[in-house]
Amino acid sequence: MTKRGHMTKLRTARFALGVTIVIVPLVLALLGPLFAGEPGPRTTSFTVGDGHWLGTDFVGRDVWQQVLHGGRPVVLTALAATALSYLVALPVGLVSALTHRRWLEELLMRPLDVLLAVPSLLLILLAATVFSPDPVGLALLVALVNVPDAARLVRAAATEAAARPAVEALRMQGETWWRMAVDYVGRSMLRTLVADAGTRLTGVLYLVATAAFLGVGVAPDAADWAVMVDRNRTGLFVQPWAVVAPALLIVALTMGTNLLFDAALSDDRLSERVRGEKLPDATRTLRDGARSEART
Amino acid sequence: MNHTDDTTGEARDTTVAPVAEIRNLRVEVGGRAIVDGVSLKALPGKVTALVGASGSGKTTTGLALLGEYPSGAHVTGDVRLAADGLAGYIPQHPATALNPARRVSALLTDIARAQVRHLPRGRRRTAARERVLRALAEAQVPDAEILLRRYPHQLSGGQQQRVVLAQALLLGARVVVADEPTTGQDALTKSRVVDQLAAVAARGIGVVLLSHDLDVVRVLADEVIVMRAGRVVESGPAHRLWLAPQHEWTRELLSGQPEFTEPETATGSGTAPGAGRPALRIRDLTARHRNSTRGTTEVLRLTGLDLRAGESLAVVGRSGSGKTTLARCLAGLHRDHDGEILLDGTPLPRSLRDRGRAQLAAVQYVFQDARASFDEHRPVLHQVARTAIRLRRTETSAATQEALATLTGLGLPEDLVRRRPGQLSGGELQRAALARALLARPRVLICDEITSGLDSITRRGILGILTTLLHDRDDLSLVLITHDLDTAALAHRIAVLDAGELVEQGPARRVLSTPSHPFTVSLMETTTRLGAGTGT
Amino acid sequence: MSGLRSFVARRLLLGVAQTVAVVLLVFALTEALPGDAAVALAGDQPDPARIAAIREAMHLDRPAYERLADWATGLFHGDLGTSLTSGRPVGQYIADGFGPTLLLATLTVALLVPIGFGLGVLAARHEGRLADRLISSVTLAVYAVPEFALGVLLVTVLALRLGWLPPTAVGYGTDLLGHPAALVLPVLVLLSRPVCSLSRLVRAGMIDALASPYVAQARRYGISGTRIRYAHALPGALAPAVQQLARTVDWLLSGVIVVEALYVIPGLGTVLLNAVAERDVPVVQGLAVVFGVLTVVLNLGADLVAHRLAPRAAVAA
Repeated sequence: MTKRGHMTKLRTARFALGVTIVIVPLVLALLGPLFAGEPGPRTTSFTVGDGHWLGTDFVGRDVWQQVLHGGRPVVLTALAATALSYLVALPVGLVSALTHRRWLEELLMRPLDVLLAVPSLLLILLAATVFSPDPVGLALLVALVNVPDAARLVRAAATEAAARPAVEALRMQGETWWRMAVDYVGRSMLRTLVADAGTRLTGVLYLVATAAFLGVGVAPDAADWAVMVDRNRTGLFVQPWAVVAPALLIVALTMGTNLLFDAALSDDRLSERVRGEKLPDATRTLRDGARSEART
Repeated sequence: MNHTDDTTGEARDTTVAPVAEIRNLRVEVGGRAIVDGVSLKALPGKVTALVGASGSGKTTTGLALLGEYPSGAHVTGDVRLAADGLAGYIPQHPATALNPARRVSALLTDIARAQVRHLPRGRRRTAARERVLRALAEAQVPDAEILLRRYPHQLSGGQQQRVVLAQALLLGARVVVADEPTTGQDALTKSRVVDQLAAVAARGIGVVLLSHDLDVVRVLADEVIVMRAGRVVESGPAHRLWLAPQHEWTRELLSGQPEFTEPETATGSGTAPGAGRPALRIRDLTARHRNSTRGTTEVLRLTGLDLRAGESLAVVGRSGSGKTTLARCLAGLHRDHDGEILLDGTPLPRSLRDRGRAQLAAVQYVFQDARASFDEHRPVLHQVARTAIRLRRTETSAATQEALATLTGLGLPEDLVRRRPGQLSGGELQRAALARALLARPRVLICDEITSGLDSITRRGILGILTTLLHDRDDLSLVLITHDLDTAALAHRIAVLDAGELVEQGPARRVLSTPSHPFTVSLMETTTRLGAGTGT
Repeated sequence: MSGLRSFVARRLLLGVAQTVAVVLLVFALTEALPGDAAVALAGDQPDPARIAAIREAMHLDRPAYERLADWATGLFHGDLGTSLTSGRPVGQYIADGFGPTLLLATLTVALLVPIGFGLGVLAARHEGRLADRLISSVTLAVYAVPEFALGVLLVTVLALRLGWLPPTAVGYGTDLLGHPAALVLPVLVLLSRPVCSLSRLVRAGMIDALASPYVAQARRYGISGTRIRYAHALPGALAPAVQQLARTVDWLLSGVIVVEALYVIPGLGTVLLNAVAERDVPVVQGLAVVFGVLTVVLNLGADLVAHRLAPRAAVAA
């Protein structure tokens, strides 16, 4: 078996693993609220059994029902924050890459460089001190801390694409701005952007969950996996399921997302094909075994 | 596959034992043979050249001498190295063989260290250093002490090449494989590389030269092996091959340059039909490059240069002489310049963005890297037709018909141009790029090194096209940017640039036969020397 | 050499600008309070006396630029202001929490470097084989997991089920060194993400370098495998790894906040979280400035080291 075939197989295995891991938390998060039904009466805190599959939580609510409700805010906030950060980063990055006005580029990018220096969780906590944000506010904050990095990436990708001779050739042909910026530059950047969106989503998931765990952007008794981990910790000795179930789901969600995106986006068939065509001239050579042994 | 040290057997018929020998080598990748039935002998002090277009299998053969094969290759045949079995390698780009994170001294001492192991520990260091300095001296490196403290990226291209050579000498290599050492280099650099390789051979080392640069092969090679599609087409002593090539492919490979402007137009005064009416005039042009660390540097200063209608002008010079910048200024791709560029007496806007349709159409530019100048996602035909649609307001169907006609005229069949650029070869894409520019019906066509990096047969094809163009369209003026005097010789007039200054210009015949500026003289001398073997 | 000097100068300038910006940003955020800042900060108990006290303590009756000037001057002299809730100087809060946090951070970094490089080199040496696949998959999976989720699971298994380790550091105060068992879980959790990113980076860098033409040339010329790995390929992987090490300071900070909350360690993270909960603006401001400046300085250092290691690599400045 060739090395390349081997890597492809490995990637497929990783992809399957990612899907398997992510499917449970994702289905629970998206469809859970539909099956949760009406909340039952509150009973004693931290009980096990007694008609409650996963026991009860710190205020006596059914943990399973909380689990069914608690994934949606995490996933939706993360998705919204990722989308929002691109909503700002795309135009900022594109304009600063394609403009020929130096001052505009500086005006757009320099403030972002500065923002990049502040640790993201610190910025979120700082804002939380002052604003007490709701879930929408949390999404905005997480989006904000992601903008500098995303904008830099967009700009770098666009600058690289716009400097190619192909763009100059389009200019020589008198092509429209739209055809150059969107049709060519946009298309060339697409792969980079999709790959970045994958890693960014995992980072955003991490940040949203951690902020919620620290009590930012959520009500103290919200049905949210991260909040559940935090609030039910006091009963960890009596009723570990109220903590372990949501914690496991968060681990599965983040782990699975990362494995999935990595397998889907790393070095896929496209580059395989290009490499395949160039094979006869391949400079990556393997040394003849006999000789290398003779030498060392 | 075995590497035995036994060279006695079959080698007896020659007076000298070969330092390396390949017999009946076959390298197969994925069921396809990329090298098949190749044999070669490298003799001490002799240069064996493997000649062929890219993809002919010469690199695979050369690397086999080093015991290296493409990954997943199935190899049969024999590769033998002489007694101590040491082989050196000089890659096309010497910088790639030098670890950017290590100083030159570390790179060389690593090799020397293995050779001083037999000495007592205390003396190893000085002994290794002695060896390093000796190897640098043998590789003709001046200021070795200073050089040793530098990182590879702080060296010039020439210094890097010498360090790579010093590595091979330090190793005590009996055979050195040089992979396309002169591709894309200007005449002076080429001549330096040729000297170095000749010096290596003079030390009794066998040199295996992989090249498609026939000038260099002609000067250096004792033995030539012509390869095509993984097979040896013909081999023999260089002089025999040059005088009486037996195979048709060799004849084609070695045949002279195309008839470019040989007819009456180019001779004598050097003026072309329609002469006297300048199409393009350049007045007091100064161009700069901006660099974030070093600020701005002036790279080009021209007081005046004219291009007449129907005339072809070659702009020659070494790399870094400013010739590409000149071309990009004319095309509007380099905005950072002062002075005037007049098209039929009207100044052209500095930037492409400010030029109107007619102005864009009038001055067209063909890029050095044809592949990079096409959008890889759209069919070639579609991209070529866009020129007529955008610049001449042609209907889409008419434009496509015209593009198809032009492309077919340049030797590209319809089913080929309906594909995406990825499926065309470099030479085919360069033809398509010419078609794309021609569809604008330009007054001035600028060709920026469009033949460098192509093998000689493909290059001849492209130059042939340019010749035909000049004949057929007498209002078209050509600007050929080149570092290759052979290509320049085909133009009506030559302008020579050095360090951003126009040092000489005049009719091609005059400049080539009686160069007046010292720089042109030196450029000519090296080229003549490289081309010396032609007539013999 | 002038290239190096101008790079250092530019990078220092950016560092200074970032520091100033952090200070301004921290101040501006508290300025951005809607309506009357004192009322907003008083929060759930809008008691007039408290509002007046806050107004007094923060000098809210004076113009913003004067307060900024005062605060910045104070910062310059090491005076970070006074807490709104306790009236104690902010500097004292930081001094109290500094010990445990420094201990956690030092232990983590001290373990991070050998483990991260070790795993990376190990995976690269066995590229494509079982060891590599195992390391790559695990690091990829753990990389994205939030510390708090991993932390509670480890507590449940290692402390509650198996009883090997204490579940929290409650009762040990700041004397953590006296109870090393209590440090195992926090450090383990803190290490999880940075180790993954560092080892992946080292692995990728080494594999790239091992496949490069210059390593091929070194092999050709008979240089030993060990020497090629550690003297030729590793230096190439070092520069990006050092930069990543500095970037992990950001993560380490998030990690410290979470881990201190999770294991009840009275460090700077706990101080920060308490201050956030009590809306004690001067304490939050002070800590933000300290953390922000620390991040800037560490990144600056890493960029300089990386520039020294790979002079040719363009470091974003």
